[in-house]
Amino acid sequence: MTFDSNAYLGHWFARQIRHNTAPELVALMDENNIDKACVGSLSAIMYRNSQPGNEELAEEIADYRDRLVPFGVINPDYADWEYDLDWCLNEMGTKGIRIYPQYHNYTLADSCCAELCQACQERGLVVTLIQRQVDYRQSHWMVDAPDLVLNDIAQLCADHPEVNFMILNGAGFAGSRFVTEADTLPGNCYVEISRSSVFIGKEMKQVIEAMGAERVLFGTGIPMKYPGPAFLKMQHIETSEENKQKILGENLAKLLDI
Amino acid sequence: MLIDAHAHCRGPLEDKKDPWEQDRLFVEAMDAVGIDIAVVSNLGTPRPATIEGFQKCNRNMLAALKEFRGRLWGYAYVNPGYSKEAIADVERCLEADEDCVGVKLYNEYTIDDPAVRPLIEKCIELDVPILEHAGHSLVNTKAQPNISDSSHFVALGREYPEVKVIVAHLGGGGDWEWETKALRYASPNIGADTSGSVTDEGLVEYAIEIMGADRLYFATDMSVTAGVGKFMSAKMSDEDRNKMASENFLQLVGREA
Repeated sequence: MTFDSNAYLGHWFARQIRHNTAPELVALMDENNIDKACVGSLSAIMYRNSQPGNEELAEEIADYRDRLVPFGVINPDYADWEYDLDWCLNEMGTKGIRIYPQYHNYTLADSCCAELCQACQERGLVVTLIQRQVDYRQSHWMVDAPDLVLNDIAQLCADHPEVNFMILNGAGFAGSRFVTEADTLPGNCYVEISRSSVFIGKEMKQVIEAMGAERVLFGTGIPMKYPGPAFLKMQHIETSEENKQKILGENLAKLLDI
Repeated sequence: MLIDAHAHCRGPLEDKKDPWEQDRLFVEAMDAVGIDIAVVSNLGTPRPATIEGFQKCNRNMLAALKEFRGRLWGYAYVNPGYSKEAIADVERCLEADEDCVGVKLYNEYTIDDPAVRPLIEKCIELDVPILEHAGHSLVNTKAQPNISDSSHFVALGREYPEVKVIVAHLGGGGDWEWETKALRYASPNIGADTSGSVTDEGLVEYAIEIMGADRLYFATDMSVTAGVGKFMSAKMSDEDRNKMASENFLQLVGREA
């Protein structure tokens, strides 16, 4: 099974996104032999109040629940986020959440982030961080959203060992605590492959060696990104065929209990 | 046939047990993803490059062409501010190896800067293309104050319609929609490569729609899976794919497959 951890629906404020409705996204998945995908709302990232974006997502995927697994966008620095979290869990059936401190004006070290992680622990929800939603060099002139720092994410994971985390669109793991301190950090963080190198820097090989293939996830970034690069990485990751199957879908299915 | 129109080499690394380890890794990656030829420059010197700096880069580039004969073609990298020495080194490289097929410029000057004119005119005379580092970023513009964006190339094309230029990496991190739109009415001899780490869906199709496939070149700029993956995923006709894959570049440098 091919299970994409990194997919989206809705609108991105800075450029037009194609294939951004549920039927279009599922058609794109079919074209690329992707069985299931975790989806979050792009619109929710830039709405001041993210919750209507989650509601739009729930409505959009209603006929595609067997293919699209919703992840709510939660801003823990916004009023009444606990209601949003419970709505995502109870009404939308979210399996986890996506957080965007770089767009929502808080840091991973802020108390609101810790409170959200605690709330996710109590509800058994995975917390997803997107290191880079878009390359900062093509940022909109009104928005400055620097990449999340991997070592800050590592600290968050260390501070909340009972919560499972996913990192999407990540790169630079080889020089981060995730690899250099893999033996001492809790094994609660899963990394997605779409931006990491498999050739010259061979970052994915180092990640697998340090963290284990069980903590690596397939992801494409569709429909914001072309799916081809992720499939090429899967083809050329230096690991066993058994591990490739884990990365391609088994790990994510197990993590989300699907 | 797949030609990577924008790549780089390290040259022999004397402190390594295998001095060709880094370049060999790239050639192995080329093998894995089906790139037949990569056109490389060496930029391994502090910038703005000194005369000695770019001469050393070009020695590395020529050594790499020799070491990986047939798999790597080359661009001579120079700082055009040193007109006399830059032109001399370009001529030296072109004469030294027939697989050196063009000139690489970085961000020492925008490409329409008067300081670049003597080199531009020499490239026209020699009938060789120039690959120029480029990008239109909306943030942190102080990082590369002399980087060229498409407006500089358009200005160059008005002054020198015959010069053959590749605007580097539409996917190199800037606003690729801006870069592409600004090239719509550029001189037909000004094309662009699709390399870079940015894999935004639609980038390649938009470039074809706005610029036409005749002016586009497949490339990676060392982001191998990004470069090949987006080219693989992009929707286009077989005819356009073949043009971008190799035909346009072969025509640009006047060579056959």
